[in-house]
Amino acid sequence: MTHQTQWTTSIYPLLERTGPFANTGFEPEALHTCKILVIGAGGLGCELLKNLALSGFKDIHVIDMDTIDISNLNRQFLFRQSDVGKSKAEVAANFIMKRIVGCKVTPYFGKIQDKDTEYYSQFTLIICGLDSVEARRWINATVVGMFDPEDPSTLKPIIDGGTEGLKGQSRIILPSFTACYECSLEMQTKPKTFPICTIANTPRLPEHCIEFASVLEWPKHFPDTKIDGDDPTHIKWLLNTALERAKEFNIAGVTYSLTQGVVKNIIPAIASTNAIVAASCANEAFKIVTNCSIYLNNYMMYTGDDSIYTLTFPLEKKENCSVCGSAKVNLDISKEKTLLELIDILKELPEFQLKKPSLRSLKTSLYMQAPPFLEEKTRVNLDKPLMELITNGEELTITDINLPISLQLTVTFV
Amino acid sequence: MQQPNTKTQRYDRQLRLWHNHGQQALENSKVLLINGSATGTEILKNLVLPGIQSFTVLDGNKVANADLGNNFFLTRESVGKSRSKEVTDLLRELNNDVEGNHLEEDPTNLINNDLNFFKKFTIVVASQLIEVELLKLSAFLWENNIPLIVVRTYGFIGYLRIAVPEHTVVETHPEQIVDLRLDSPFKELSTFANSFDFSTMTSFELSHVPYVVLLLRSLGEFRQQYGHLPSSTNEKNEFKNLIKQKMSGVTSETENFDEALSSAFRTYSPTSNTQSILQDEKISNLNLKSTNFWILAKALKSFIENEGNGFLPVAGTLPDMKSDTTSYVELQTIYKNKAKQDVASVNNYLLEILNNLGKPKDSIPLEEVERFCKNANFLRVIKYRSLNDEYLNASTTLGFTTNDILHLTVLKKKKFFYKGKLLEDLNSNVVFFVLIRAVDSFWEKYRRYPGVHNSEVDADIPLLKRCTQNLLQGWGVNPGLIQDDHIHCMVRAGACEMHNMAAIQGGIVAQEIIKILTGQYIPLDNSFIFNGMNSTSTTFRI
Repeated sequence: MTHQTQWTTSIYPLLERTGPFANTGFEPEALHTCKILVIGAGGLGCELLKNLALSGFKDIHVIDMDTIDISNLNRQFLFRQSDVGKSKAEVAANFIMKRIVGCKVTPYFGKIQDKDTEYYSQFTLIICGLDSVEARRWINATVVGMFDPEDPSTLKPIIDGGTEGLKGQSRIILPSFTACYECSLEMQTKPKTFPICTIANTPRLPEHCIEFASVLEWPKHFPDTKIDGDDPTHIKWLLNTALERAKEFNIAGVTYSLTQGVVKNIIPAIASTNAIVAASCANEAFKIVTNCSIYLNNYMMYTGDDSIYTLTFPLEKKENCSVCGSAKVNLDISKEKTLLELIDILKELPEFQLKKPSLRSLKTSLYMQAPPFLEEKTRVNLDKPLMELITNGEELTITDINLPISLQLTVTFV
Repeated sequence: MQQPNTKTQRYDRQLRLWHNHGQQALENSKVLLINGSATGTEILKNLVLPGIQSFTVLDGNKVANADLGNNFFLTRESVGKSRSKEVTDLLRELNNDVEGNHLEEDPTNLINNDLNFFKKFTIVVASQLIEVELLKLSAFLWENNIPLIVVRTYGFIGYLRIAVPEHTVVETHPEQIVDLRLDSPFKELSTFANSFDFSTMTSFELSHVPYVVLLLRSLGEFRQQYGHLPSSTNEKNEFKNLIKQKMSGVTSETENFDEALSSAFRTYSPTSNTQSILQDEKISNLNLKSTNFWILAKALKSFIENEGNGFLPVAGTLPDMKSDTTSYVELQTIYKNKAKQDVASVNNYLLEILNNLGKPKDSIPLEEVERFCKNANFLRVIKYRSLNDEYLNASTTLGFTTNDILHLTVLKKKKFFYKGKLLEDLNSNVVFFVLIRAVDSFWEKYRRYPGVHNSEVDADIPLLKRCTQNLLQGWGVNPGLIQDDHIHCMVRAGACEMHNMAAIQGGIVAQEIIKILTGQYIPLDNSFIFNGMNSTSTTFRI
């Protein structure tokens, strides 16, 4: 047996014979010719590269903009202490190619947004091991947008994995056939935020003291510097400021670890959960490409804190999804309400998770968050009642940094 | 406060889950892996990374070319060398703090000639080991209270079984521990609640009274009037009105009143789990071999029967709530102090028990007593079924259970419905539990697995079918319950161990081992099947 076929013994029974649970279009050869993209070379990414390489995939690409941090080493097993500071994508790719002969891994040390649709269309399938909602929304919108119903080759399945502590999920997105990432945005747990008035006036928890330091005090002292959660001098300054605040109010529990946790919004992550979710994603990729078995339809969640529990179900498409559906928002609102109040209502809508929405009517810009001169020019509109700005039933366009594409909003006065 | 050291930084993301004492427990653990298969090394990878003390790989095989296809911890240069040594070397690279040992020997020899070898380990993982040796080993480990994890990866099917006489958990990590003692306030708490004079408060002040105070005062008023706690619907509405009356002076937002109304009938009495733990005969039969858990449980019981007046020790945690800073911090201090007092009382009983047992006073540190008291309402004891019982009494209990399970009653731990639909038939995966047993009896009979070579597939399907039927008949189960498609699916797999399935199993098994070693979170009781075709799983107790 030559090294190029070293993996075959563990998979050949399933590739050389079909069976009752195989899909139609059983196509084992595709495994060796297709090109796969892995987004993220972190906790899930390291696992995915190993799994895909040992499943017989030979041409794998990987994108990651991050460098290796010491806190990655408890699970990102392709990295060593001496790799700290280097590109995750590059170190991971080299490790895999050294260990598994005959598998080519092409790294890209940069952002997914650096690449265009031409780049993404070269892949048979895309697997995401990301920790950011924004990046997922971007890649989802890009890949779903590439699909042309007239041309089946433009259909690029996305397999998406995610973990948090002892919980995780894997899912398959078949653009226009299954729910897309945007369809299920409401399922995302929003990062915990605290009301500013609590932070400023009535702190109770150590977290309130830390937010006081990072949200209110830091910008006053260092208006030109963004907080870097990995810079110990930044964390120490925030810690000391939070400790002073805590002392003043007699609040216990402010620590270095909590400060870093709150500032960076750290989510616990362990090797075992990553292993489960990544292997599940790779298993789905293997089945989709070869059709050697039925595959996940289309969402599996796993929780391990109380026994072992998985739930598998088909997540349904959302008709008014802003990416794969006909997104339109209808809003009933009093004409006396101000534009600012309308914006606040929009920000609360769980299905869109807007951060800083800008609004345009057909005729003019109502409020633009950027650039600064436009923000300044449109700011006057914020306190005006809606009836002075728009007519009943008028259609507005919303754009937002969180929104992959623009959204149509119809406002009805009540 | 200094920046954390390198080790704390390295383990930061897991310490946020199981904390330093959980980490310490991992670092005291010695894991034995039988067979350095793909599944086995994936399990160890996920244990070496978080930092166990040591692992040992027991394997008599030389590395074959085929191993390179599914095992990440081998290289081309490994072929022909000892598999236990080769995988151990590459696994050790993952974490310098973990000790790795290898023993090149056929596990069967050790099991037959030197069972005491297995005594040195905290936990034993048997990967791809079958019946005869497995049962001999499991009987020995059971006697010595060493947990045994049995794992099989077979085509698209993963199987896992845990066996140890008993596993106890103090920290099950419930989402939140809310113990407010509203229905039975202690003195300091009532005094604090009564110190508020609502009549002189401004709207702002009223809107910042912690809801605990609002509830205690309203309950006090209700009791004065009725002499008991609200029970009927009318009384409950009346009680809610008492809360709402206090709201009249508030002109702005009333978040604290909303919180009060939604928590109005929150009580804290011992859960059924805790109650049955307190009734366990282990408490009345304490001896020198008793674990800390049962000694603490006895101290807890004495507390409840005396100072506690039927109540558990106060947990001492206060959830966040709308409040001004001073009231919140004072309230927090009141609960904390009471919790400390209760811990001290429990600790007194504990010292007495330790003394009677002839154990040193410091054998259970105060920190552990505190954790026990805080989690007293969420304790968990799992009494497993032994593997030997499962196999040897198959015709009675196993047969009965299997029949039941195959028909309808798979343990659905939580009923989790999405949009009202439970979309997968969970029962079907138990079929694969039966079929894993069936391929093993096929092996016993023919000394090979079905369908390993293409030429055997067609002929092996009826042979495996016969093995399955014999097995089911032996258990007293209707042999027609297993469909031909499922049998064909096992033959098709040809006993292959795909890397992806090995990795899924590696993650799941490591997760359960971590729960057992740290004594935190609740491990599986006792069997699990993962179906890698439709990506569903089933948990059942057999």
